[in-house]
Amino acid sequence: MLRTTDLNAYYGQFHVLHDVSVHIKEKEVVVVLGPNGHGKSTLLKSICGLVDRVEGSILYKGQNITGRPAEKLVNEGVIYIAENRELFPEMSVLENLKLGAYSKNARSHEKKNMAKVLDLFPRLEERKKQMASTLSGGEARMLAIARGLMSHADFLCIDEPSLGLQPNLRVEVFNIIKEINKQGKSILLVEQNIPQIAELADRIYMLEEGQITFEGTAREALENDHLKEIFLGM
Amino acid sequence: MGALMAIIYGGLALMPIFVGGTDHLMHILIMILIWGVVASCWDLIMGFAGIFSFGQVAFFVIGAYASAIVANKFGIPPIFAIFVAGGITAAIGVLVGLPCLRLKGAYVALVTFAVHMILEPFLKGPMGRAIGTGGSRGILTIQPIEIFGFAFTPDHKVAVFYLTLVLAILCSIIILMVIRSFWGTAFLALKDSEDFSASLGVSAFKYKLAVFALTSFLTGMVGGFYGHYVGMLSTRMLGIDLFVTLMIMLVIGGIGHFPGAILGAIVTVTLNEMLSPLGSYRPLILGGLVVVLVLFLPDGVIGLVRRFFNGKSKIQEADA
Amino acid sequence: MLIEYVDVFISGMTNGSVYALMAVGLTLVYGVSKAFNFAYGSFFSLGGYLAWILLALVGIWGGYISVFLVALPLLMVFGYVTEKLIVAPLRKRSDWEIKVMMLTLGLALFMDNLFQVVFGSRMKSLPPIVDGVLEVGDLVVSYQDVVIFILSISGILAFRWFLNNTRIGMAVRAVAQNPEGARIVGIPKDRIFAATFGISTVMVGLGGVLLAQKYFVSPSGGWDILVKSWVITAFGGMGSIRGGLYAAFILGMLEAFVGYWFGMTWVLFALFGVLLATLAVRPQGLLGKWG
Repeated sequence: MLRTTDLNAYYGQFHVLHDVSVHIKEKEVVVVLGPNGHGKSTLLKSICGLVDRVEGSILYKGQNITGRPAEKLVNEGVIYIAENRELFPEMSVLENLKLGAYSKNARSHEKKNMAKVLDLFPRLEERKKQMASTLSGGEARMLAIARGLMSHADFLCIDEPSLGLQPNLRVEVFNIIKEINKQGKSILLVEQNIPQIAELADRIYMLEEGQITFEGTAREALENDHLKEIFLGM
Repeated sequence: MGALMAIIYGGLALMPIFVGGTDHLMHILIMILIWGVVASCWDLIMGFAGIFSFGQVAFFVIGAYASAIVANKFGIPPIFAIFVAGGITAAIGVLVGLPCLRLKGAYVALVTFAVHMILEPFLKGPMGRAIGTGGSRGILTIQPIEIFGFAFTPDHKVAVFYLTLVLAILCSIIILMVIRSFWGTAFLALKDSEDFSASLGVSAFKYKLAVFALTSFLTGMVGGFYGHYVGMLSTRMLGIDLFVTLMIMLVIGGIGHFPGAILGAIVTVTLNEMLSPLGSYRPLILGGLVVVLVLFLPDGVIGLVRRFFNGKSKIQEADA
Repeated sequence: MLIEYVDVFISGMTNGSVYALMAVGLTLVYGVSKAFNFAYGSFFSLGGYLAWILLALVGIWGGYISVFLVALPLLMVFGYVTEKLIVAPLRKRSDWEIKVMMLTLGLALFMDNLFQVVFGSRMKSLPPIVDGVLEVGDLVVSYQDVVIFILSISGILAFRWFLNNTRIGMAVRAVAQNPEGARIVGIPKDRIFAATFGISTVMVGLGGVLLAQKYFVSPSGGWDILVKSWVITAFGGMGSIRGGLYAAFILGMLEAFVGYWFGMTWVLFALFGVLLATLAVRPQGLLGKWG
């Protein structure tokens, strides 16, 4: 569904991604692992049109989307869900969700998606009218994912959804991601927590220093000593 | 930087050989030197320290009036009065800078511009007249600077020019030293990230006040010098015209590209002169020029020259 | 004596309402795109001059209707295009905030002198929208003031409705609250910047029309307005609409009373004094933050 070939990304003069080639098949959940600061977020952001300088090729559903900005890509069904959540603090949960459906494509499905999303996240339904800034960490994370879903995207780039969450919330988030995947969405996920990943991921990539150093299934990843070393050593 | 400065001043120093006879042209040269210093100070505070100060013209006028009043009322010889004026202006600069310490961006511009806007009614009003500003008429007689009995009046423009040159070079050297010193680096750090410098324990306040003090001192001193040169002062200088003209110098010279401001002064003053036959159309062209220049000449002439010769200069890397 | 105070109060309210309209425009642009428009005063005059032209062409009754129907959209387009053409390109540069200030200052000088060349430097006055006065006992209130007040408040309310109830309005709030989030969600930031610039132009232009009847239109009349709008915006907190509203009325009142007690020359000092005192204690203004 989505394939990058020799993707290079830059922040100003900073060359972050070096010839990165990944692909995600339809309805797959692919996880990107790697130490912090080595380009995982940049990879996701580059795909989603949020990085200014990108070279190489990104094909989405056969179309070349390299360099296209987020405002166009959201309409095509590619959405980024930030590690920082990037919510609108002084708007209600409902308004945040509505804004998630800003693009034309999403707007025509707004009502349907809103119902779906509130069903998937009952806690958000409860807090519909609350200001986003008053939400707890876990709820904010849920809202970020929910808002991303409102974009009616088929391809979701989710950046460290379980970061900073308590174990029980983490499980909830992963379950939701599983559910979203079951509903037919393709997901490119950045995560740190290996044990949970194994269950969730169809395939795994390892990104170190802006380059892909491993590609394989979850099982293969767990058997890989190098990987184990990095993450258990953390 | 230093080399470029030397070339510019060297070039200027030779000018009287060609135009020494023409009074009007000599006047232009003198004004170039004076504005060059003022523009450089503005560059220092805005381009290097990153403080959006819009009070430069105000400080110039304050210095001019202060020096004239001090000389007229207290009989202090003008040559010393200008330093006293510089000190007074520096004190006011610090007073203005104090509220600006915690403010960001546009707020600082507001407060400093406020000083500019308040200055005119103040100078013209009862408080101003009380201290000798001459109200709306301004100050009509100001003593010229005298050194060893020689009076630097407008009749002796070549002499005035060289005196101005000395003063301008001194001020520029001070500015250059500041930029090159640790202070200069601290300013750049402050400009790029205030939070980061704060975490380093750098006393942003101290540096900001110092920048206000220094630039106001130099500007005020030069303002005082101006007053003693032309012999009279009025509040016309506070019009938006001069402000924009000064801004053009910065835009042409490049913000944060010392000594571009001096080049900017040369170009701008010359341009101004060439345009003066156009009378009321002149501000129109000036305004339009600013718009065009800011859009198309982002780093001023200096930036253009540097890029042409070096590829990438240190300052451009710092910007990126 | 009391009557005079009520008079001053009314004057303060009327002016305050127009100031509110204009301050909200300024704080909007700053809150959303962090751009400071130094040509705001010239846009104010533009509104006045546009109205003057339209009135001269169409006569008084048809006049003001045409003013609202024609001038306001024109102002919107002017603001939108100006932003797109000359402000937007600056955003990618270093020191862009300073450059925007400088550019808009140059624009202001250009516009002011264009006005002078085209319209002459003598002040122009606009006829009042409604003639006549209302008499309540000893109190005399001109209908004009009432109309001005109503129109300004309507403008502000319309704007508030726009912000809260339209998609673009929500997008504007979104960009102001979290530009990165807005980007993620697919909001076209550039268009929003241009739109808010256009809206603020309409607001200040409308202010120009409304105040022109009392205070004349002149090529350099905008500077006073720029400074006042600025002071009000800073006092209320840059980026805070509610703050701007409170600030406008407070300072409008202050201006009226200081002018009455001490004379107009002291007004500027008083305004700045209050501003500086406030900023010393609260550097972000009364309600600084988007609100």
